Amino acid sequence: MKTKLAILLIVILLALLPVYAGKYAVYVVIHILLLSIFSLGFNLLFGYTGLLSFGQAGFYAVGAYGCAKILLAYPSLLVGILGGVAFTGVVSLALGVLCIRHTRIYFSMLTLSFGMMIFSLAWKWRDMTGGDDGLVGIPRAPLEIPGLFSVNMVPMENYYYVVLAFAFLAIALFYRLVHSPMGLTLQGIRDSETRTACIGISVRKYRLISFTIAGLYAGLAGALLPPLESTVTPPLAHWGHSAEPVLATLLGGIYSFSGPIVGSVIFYLLKDIIVRFTEYWQICLGIIVVVLVMGFRGGVASIFKRKGGRP
Amino acid sequence: MKAIIRTEKLGKYFGAMAAVHEVNLSLQEGLFTSVIGPNGAGKTTLINLLSGFMLPDCGAIYFREKEITRLAPEKRVKMGISRSFQVMNIFPRMTVFQNILLAVLSRLDKTSSALSSLQSQKEAVAEAEKTLGEVWLQEEKDFPAGELSHGDQRLLELGIAVAANPQICFLDEPSSGMNPIERIKVLELVKKLAAERKTTFIIVEHDMDIVFSLSDWIVVMNRGEVLAEGKPGDIRENQEVRDIYLGEEI
Repeated sequence: MKTKLAILLIVILLALLPVYAGKYAVYVVIHILLLSIFSLGFNLLFGYTGLLSFGQAGFYAVGAYGCAKILLAYPSLLVGILGGVAFTGVVSLALGVLCIRHTRIYFSMLTLSFGMMIFSLAWKWRDMTGGDDGLVGIPRAPLEIPGLFSVNMVPMENYYYVVLAFAFLAIALFYRLVHSPMGLTLQGIRDSETRTACIGISVRKYRLISFTIAGLYAGLAGALLPPLESTVTPPLAHWGHSAEPVLATLLGGIYSFSGPIVGSVIFYLLKDIIVRFTEYWQICLGIIVVVLVMGFRGGVASIFKRKGGRP
Repeated sequence: MKAIIRTEKLGKYFGAMAAVHEVNLSLQEGLFTSVIGPNGAGKTTLINLLSGFMLPDCGAIYFREKEITRLAPEKRVKMGISRSFQVMNIFPRMTVFQNILLAVLSRLDKTSSALSSLQSQKEAVAEAEKTLGEVWLQEEKDFPAGELSHGDQRLLELGIAVAANPQICFLDEPSSGMNPIERIKVLELVKKLAAERKTTFIIVEHDMDIVFSLSDWIVVMNRGEVLAEGKPGDIRENQEVRDIYLGEEI
């Protein structure tokens, strides 16, 4: 009951955010929501399926560039976002077929390699991606279904609600997935591949499903970025960006549903605060992350779990 | 009686070592069969080959006269072949109930359901509850499986194996690490499950008292080959088996 009330309160606070908070707070919360979606997808692979990917930023970038290209050619927000996500789905399915044949460090290195290949493509394929300049002038196109409605997205507050709606949908679907038979199957694979195969389950098939869904989540987070920033650049695909959902998830807790969300809030706020005080923010952030990870084994979300509520 | 599983000149070699060499076996449906032999005789390798966890270098395997030699393990399970492992193999982070439930969901082909809750899988939940009762783990239902005692984890592994509702089930040392009383209880449970579920059990076991008291048929292996097979009385009287494995006290 307490958990439900807390969730309701958070939903109300988020829904009313543009009313009581300034533009910067809205901007920060949009980034936290994007990182949460990104981290949830990552944790489907890591916490639920037992596969550590270092290349999720590649899929984030595919979603971002896909959405940006569509918006530059056809300024419709829904078409841009959904097109970016669909494009990422195809790419993650294709790369997944190659990656899921391996596990442990071999899987991690493969994902790192493919992620960096995408980074190289973004950097070098100037005609398509704009090279190191990236793609600029991406419009925050109206949210419209021709003949039905059209909402102006130029005010950031309006776009915030689009991101919030996608984030709620992504979180709700994720919750349903991890508490479904398929979610249990993925956890079985995480715990013991041989035992899972031995009860008649195709481990590769479900690894591929998990990989593709994780890619879709990264793609969704990426596709929601260009309308906000009006630009996409190659560092989105860099392995350093892949580390963000890893750190956020470790901070929040890998074995709980809410861990990646809690971790995303902490990670982004820490980064945002520290960066104001020192140019060596990465050292400070690193130390804080180490202390938090060592101090809260099982993640910060495990505090709530110990107190009896579902995290 | 019909052969439920049969091999023809089955072989598995690791370099110069023959783990299994030209094994011709015909295991009968409904017979409680034990595979015995000294360490390194090839018992576990034979089970790995029959259950699909290793591919043979030569020979063939037939399940109900259908060739399954190179069939993937998960496909063999769907045909009705299940197993447990010598080294404990459960889902330690999941609850005891979820361990059994996953096996039942797989049997009912419900694992691909991504948008329904586990509680809505009423048939699977009821069947998992029943199986938990069969292996005496109802009270431990909500415990994380990894926190169970060794004996209970063995029972859980047996529960997972039978939850697939197999026609034939290989149990690799199902009572290892248990005290003598627990061993007898567990193997009597296996015999009871065999009768109730009409499953043919093939077990690898080192406790000869239990093997000779519970088995209908015994296969003796040595150095990768079948040294002898027959009824417990015949095996007990076999001089070659006594010399190599059993000794004179049996």
